[in-house]
Formats: sequence, structure tokens, C-alpha cells
Amino acid sequence: MTARPIPTAALILYALVLALGLGVGSAYAVLNGTPPFGSRRLGPWQAWPKLGSADADPYMRAIVARRGDVPLAIGEGLALTALVDKDGRKLSSACSYRIGRSTPAARWWTLTVYDEAGRPSPSELGRSGFTSSEVVRDADNMFTIALSRSLSPGNWLQLPASGPFTVVLRLYDIPGAAGLNLNADDLPTIERGECSA
Amino acid sequence: MSNLTRLFLATLSGLVLAAGVHIAIIFAAPSFAENDAFNRLQETLTEDQAQLISPAGGEKTWLPLPDPATAVAACAFDLSDGPVRVTAKPGQDFLSFSFHTKTRGVFFAVTDRAAIRGELELVVMTPRQLDEARAAEDENDPSRDVRIVAPQEQGYIVVRVAAPRPSQRVQAEEAAKAVTCTIDEDEAS
Repeated sequence: MTARPIPTAALILYALVLALGLGVGSAYAVLNGTPPFGSRRLGPWQAWPKLGSADADPYMRAIVARRGDVPLAIGEGLALTALVDKDGRKLSSACSYRIGRSTPAARWWTLTVYDEAGRPSPSELGRSGFTSSEVVRDADNMFTIALSRSLSPGNWLQLPASGPFTVVLRLYDIPGAAGLNLNADDLPTIERGECSA
Repeated sequence: MSNLTRLFLATLSGLVLAAGVHIAIIFAAPSFAENDAFNRLQETLTEDQAQLISPAGGEKTWLPLPDPATAVAACAFDLSDGPVRVTAKPGQDFLSFSFHTKTRGVFFAVTDRAAIRGELELVVMTPRQLDEARAAEDENDPSRDVRIVAPQEQGYIVVRVAAPRPSQRVQAEEAAKAVTCTIDEDEAS
């Protein structure tokens, strides 16, 4: 005895539900993330140079619209985001970090720490980042920025009370085509120090 | 056909359709987004001056990951009312303009390095308005306007002013708010 055939209507319904579920689900997942294509990894830093250009792909446009973001245009500068340290470990406020010692050529730059929700995380002194004119440099014209929860000497940024955090380095008015010739060696490194529970 | 083949075919067509749905949503997303920058800037359409959207300090803003060392102001434009003229008087510190379409991203950007005699002035127009402006031009007295053709009629202009030190924040905000975006009556006629 052969099995009864599945009704064609049921199969069509199944195909449609599958299409809607997977299609909407995958689009939603991508829209809430970072652009899947066109990123450049430079050590711990990640950048999407085409995000602020007319060549942005449909994923970039959709994600920018969903975030309500206004990306830095090519010609204005480049934003580099770090979620990990130089060894690829996630940035966590339980640890202390040192960022340094130089940046690529730019008219000016800013380095900002954001909490998990993407808000700047100001220290008790009201500071959430350094700019190229504020940072204190050593005799070699290099700098080191210390990131920790408790006060530390020198260029210090306070980390949020808990959770992961993000560091964004913005290079404004960089020479060349949107920093396409940037090297990981030119960018500051992010070194992890001690961690507390 | 056996049930297994039929089920396989149904799954396959479901997957193909899912890819289509995915692509359609990604392409349509910028047009349907409600919280994107263009929609949030709607009320600046009628203003003659750029409105502050992210004051220096990085607080009180809807911009994700705002840079606390810049003041950001913006004004939306609709070129169906005529070309839009943007002017700024940059000071010592970095100032940049970026020009965004409603759904197709950035189409132009310029910094204060391009300023002439301390003034940065640009006219945004549609290709048709550019043709009209050229046709109306006096050959002996050509216009000195810097003209930028926008690929879409609707969009917004964003100005970023640097405040490298906290003491410069107020000044940067004033400079960002002083940017004017007006509909150019002369060229529209």
C-alpha cells in the first residue's frame, strides 16, 4: 500500500511560510548587525570605508537607515571601531587596557569609549574620550591612553561600571582616498592589562 | 512523484522565495525606515538654518555613537522647491559638510579646506536645475557658485564642527547652528 499523497495546497502553504519566515528572519538579523560586506580589519580595528560614499551597498544603506545613523563621508574622515583587543579578546570593563602609541596621519582625531548601549561613558571628571589636541604626549611625540574603572595617572579614560564596551577612533580629514592605504601598524594597539572579577 | 520528491521541491521553492523576500526587504528598508536621519530631520525642512542634532559632549542626541568632540547640525532639503544654497563661515577649527540623499546615501562631502576667503558656499541642485542655471547664465559674467548635483530630490545636509577641547564646545555649537540652508530664489526662476 502506498502512502497517501500530501495535498498540493499544504505543500504550497509550507513553501510560502518557509519563504516568509526565513526571508524576514534573515533580513531582520542582518539589519540589526554590522554591514556584512565591505569591512576592513586592521588589527583590533574594523572600518567600513564605503559606508559614507555613493558606493555603499544595499546592506550598508539599509543598516544606516535602521540605525538612524549619519556615517562619516569619505572626504570627512574615517571611523574605526574596536570591540576586541589586539589578541582578539572581547573588550570588557572588568579589565584595564592601554591604547597607543600613534595614529595615522590625520588633521585631527578623536578616541571615544562607549558603553554597551552606544552612549559615551563619561568619567567622574566628565571625560569620555581624548582628541589629538588634548592627549598628553611623551618626549617621542607618542601617547598612551589608559582605560580602567579606577583612576590611573596620565591619559585616563574611565570604563563603564560593567559589561562590554566599544572604542571608536575617528580620523578626520585624512590624506588619500578614505584611508584605503591605512596599515594595521600605523594604528594604535589595544593591550589588555589586569582583569578583576 | 513520491511524497519525498514533492516535499523536497516545496522546500527548494521556499528557499528560493526566501532569498527573494530577503533581497526585497533589504532594498526596501531605506524607503520604509521611520527612524532614519531623513525622517527625524523633517521639521528642519522649513528652517533657514541648520538645527543642532548632536551637541558637543555627545549627550541629548538620537545619533548612535555620537562623537563628543564634534557638534553636528543638519538641515533637510527638497529640491522640488528650487536649488538649496548652503553657507558656512568656518573658523580655525575643522568644519565639514556631507550631503546625503534620502535613501541612497552620501553623494558629496567637503571640508573647510575648500573655503574661499573664509567662506564655504555651495548650491545643491537637480540635473535639470543645473541645465536651467547654465542656460540662464551670462557668458561674460559666469556664476561663481560651486554647484553640486544631487541624485535624488530629497535629502539632508550635515555639518560637523570640531571642538577639540571642552572649552570650545559652545563655540563649535554656535558655528554649527550658524550654517544657513536656504532655497535659492534667483536660480529657481
